[in-house]
Amino acid sequence: MTRLPRQAIIRILLSVLLVASLYLLSAATENSARFGQLYLWLLLINGVVLVVLLGLIINNLQRLVRSFRARETGSRLTLRLMALFVVLAVVPGLVVYGFSMQFLQRGVDSWFDVRIENALEDALTLSQASLDQRMRDMQQRLEEAAQELADVSSAMAPVALGDLRGRTRASELTLIGENGRIIAASSVDTDSILPHRPEESILLQLRQGRPYVGLDPIENAGLHIRALVPAPGPEGPGETRILQGLFQVSPRINDLAAEVETAFSEYRELAYLRGPLKDSFSLTLSLVLLLSLLFAVWSAFYLARRLVAPVSRLAEGTRAMAAGEYGTQLPPAGNDELGFLVRSFNDMSRRVANVRDAARQSQALVESQRTYLETVLGRLSSGVLALSPDGTLRTCNQAAMDILSLPLDEGVGQPLSALVERFPDLGPFVDHVDAHRRASDAEWRAELSLDTPEGRRSLICSGAMLPGEGDEGGEVIVFDDVTTLIQAQRDAAWGEVARRLAHEIRNPLTPIQLSAERLQHKVAHRLSGDEAALLQRSTETIIHQVEAMKEMVQAFSEYARPPVLRPRTVDFNALVQEVVDLYRGQSAEAFIDVDLDDGLPGLQADPGRLRQLLNNLIRNALEADDAGNCRIIVSTRRGSGRHAHGVELDVQDNGPGFADTMLDQLFEPYVSTKPRGSGLGLAIVKKIVEEHNGTITARNTDGGARISVRLPGVVAGNARWENA
Amino acid sequence: MAFTMPAWKSARRRTATLVAVFWLAAVSAAVDAAEFGIATFESRFDDRLLVADARIDYSLSGTAIEALESGVDLVIVQRLVLEQPRWWWRDVQVVDQHRRYRLAYHAISRRYVLNRLASGDSRSFRSLDALLMQLGEVEAWPVIRRDRLEPERDYRLNLETRLDVDALPRLLRTVAWTDTDWQLRSGTQTLEVRP
Repeated sequence: MTRLPRQAIIRILLSVLLVASLYLLSAATENSARFGQLYLWLLLINGVVLVVLLGLIINNLQRLVRSFRARETGSRLTLRLMALFVVLAVVPGLVVYGFSMQFLQRGVDSWFDVRIENALEDALTLSQASLDQRMRDMQQRLEEAAQELADVSSAMAPVALGDLRGRTRASELTLIGENGRIIAASSVDTDSILPHRPEESILLQLRQGRPYVGLDPIENAGLHIRALVPAPGPEGPGETRILQGLFQVSPRINDLAAEVETAFSEYRELAYLRGPLKDSFSLTLSLVLLLSLLFAVWSAFYLARRLVAPVSRLAEGTRAMAAGEYGTQLPPAGNDELGFLVRSFNDMSRRVANVRDAARQSQALVESQRTYLETVLGRLSSGVLALSPDGTLRTCNQAAMDILSLPLDEGVGQPLSALVERFPDLGPFVDHVDAHRRASDAEWRAELSLDTPEGRRSLICSGAMLPGEGDEGGEVIVFDDVTTLIQAQRDAAWGEVARRLAHEIRNPLTPIQLSAERLQHKVAHRLSGDEAALLQRSTETIIHQVEAMKEMVQAFSEYARPPVLRPRTVDFNALVQEVVDLYRGQSAEAFIDVDLDDGLPGLQADPGRLRQLLNNLIRNALEADDAGNCRIIVSTRRGSGRHAHGVELDVQDNGPGFADTMLDQLFEPYVSTKPRGSGLGLAIVKKIVEEHNGTITARNTDGGARISVRLPGVVAGNARWENA
Repeated sequence: MAFTMPAWKSARRRTATLVAVFWLAAVSAAVDAAEFGIATFESRFDDRLLVADARIDYSLSGTAIEALESGVDLVIVQRLVLEQPRWWWRDVQVVDQHRRYRLAYHAISRRYVLNRLASGDSRSFRSLDALLMQLGEVEAWPVIRRDRLEPERDYRLNLETRLDVDALPRLLRTVAWTDTDWQLRSGTQTLEVRP
């Protein structure tokens, strides 16, 4: 069971008290003996309640106006409900009040009939007229009795009065002297000691010679006729005495007169009280109505607020939901339809919040898995590309970008063909992939060579279709850079060949050379001039060729010998400058430009080997152009990106460039495009670079060829001379 | 003659005063000239009996006279209180006597009837003035025997009179509480009495 709010309990209590107060007021108005004494206090209390209610209503009205001006949620609805409640309460109340007042006024007036009033007036007049005749008779009778007292002295007056009272049938006869003193009295009522003395004004009238007769209601004795007449005394006309007689009206007439008097008095009293009665009822009715209306209006504020509160909260809750504040819970609003609506809203909000939380968890899980996958992919040395079914690049790992030397992450979300437009070197790779995709090969494996900004790379690619339909499918391509591996295999093979050749060739060369020299020495002087000259040329040829072969063998030996490095800190720019200056001094026709970057990082290297590297590269560039118009640009710069700690060296010439067929084997031993080249120069260069954990690439440019060397710089705490 | 009346003497009087002040503030009607006044008030010992004589001027308002002649009986109360003052506590009320008179108009006889309610004695008068004149004559109102008073002690004798609104018909009573025409009362006249 829902508990009533405290405010509702207070209002119910106030209602009960108000009803009780109004009941008491009504009871007091209806002449209740019990509550009549409280009427004034009830009026006062209800008046105070009236003022308090007015204050509360004004306060509520101000609050409502403020909230309406502030455009608070629900204020408009509250105002409308308020207006409706007030109209519903006030209009019927005023109608009832109007009719009640009209009924009250007319109803009370209808109690007093003019004819009855006239009848009572007539009855009274009739009674008075009837008694008037009797009074005149009594006056006459008393005047006759007064004449009989003319000769009666004051001393004899009591006796005479007793006799006269009996004959006149008066209930009391009193003889009053000139000075107002009672001379004698005779009364039927023997218990009464004092006679009924007339008023001074009547005595004054008698002294003026005018008799008096009138009715005198005497308590417990009924209506009497009081008559006073002058009574001459024995001393002549100069003595003025007064005879008063009280004559009891007959019981029958007395009763009738009393009834007429009572009825007339009661009717007159009622008629007189008609005004106060109407005022009292009107006041009570007005107070009751006013209090009821004010209480109704005050309660209307409360009811309107109570009715609107859930709606306002619902509106605010809906607004909050629309703003993304899911899970908003509204306070309960009872068991009615509004309460059901609030419960439904709370349920909906809770469910939406749960769904949101589940979505967040799923998203977090997906993110976590994605991060995990990216971490795994990032740690793979193999390049991985994921393609959507339509060939769009979905993702790629760092290894893929490193192997291809392309910023593939910029092309995520684009088809591979679009990448080809930006990076033409990627064309063969994309063609290969597209061919397998068109063939719908579930799995495929291939080897291909690819030109990259860092040279030609040998890749082993494998592709596999991903499960799923529609957008969920696609293809994953994994490729490894086996350039180094192949090169290493080749280098190892060539190293073995060079070692064996050097070993096998060097041994007979010296005997051949010695034999040729001995032959020349022993035989030359025995031969004639021509023959001697022939021998001389032949043996010199042998000796020269042997020398040449020795040099070749020496070169092979150097190529094959294990690296012995003596690394130290090298000023690479100074080293380059030194070597270039050497060539400038030896070859006047060589034109070598030097572009050195002052901000090179530190380099730990064997300067002798680097000098040999520079010699070989510059000599190789010089030999590129036989015409003697050689122009070489030697430049150094700091690496970029992940090679920021390294040093890069470019040696570019303006020769014809490398033959495309040679690019794959350019750094292999005994591969040369020059007629007299040994084919070991660039192979040795590559070997020196690898000894320093660097990389070397060769490319043809628009106006010649360029060989780029990248050497790792010094990184704190990172020794790069494991292989040294 | 000045009079004194402690405010805590009568809770009813205090309440009535509060109510009267309230309604006097609320009602702006002009105050009727009608009022009760004690013209003379004297005390004397008459044969070892303390008696009081007074002359009270009664003047009814037009509203009250109209009501009287319309059949509404009026009750006038005369109150005589003898107190023994005490400086350290409330005064001792030695005597508290009331005389209640009912004024009525007898329509058939056209006379005004004055009835003393305690004894039932009644007298009728040709005019209301004569009645009020008679009512205002307080002669030898016995208060207390001298031997019941402590000698050498001062006493205070208070006299007041008022129209008893509570004795009016209830409907008229409601109006009377709010109408100054019905607020007819004299002040309290005080006499110092020493046995």
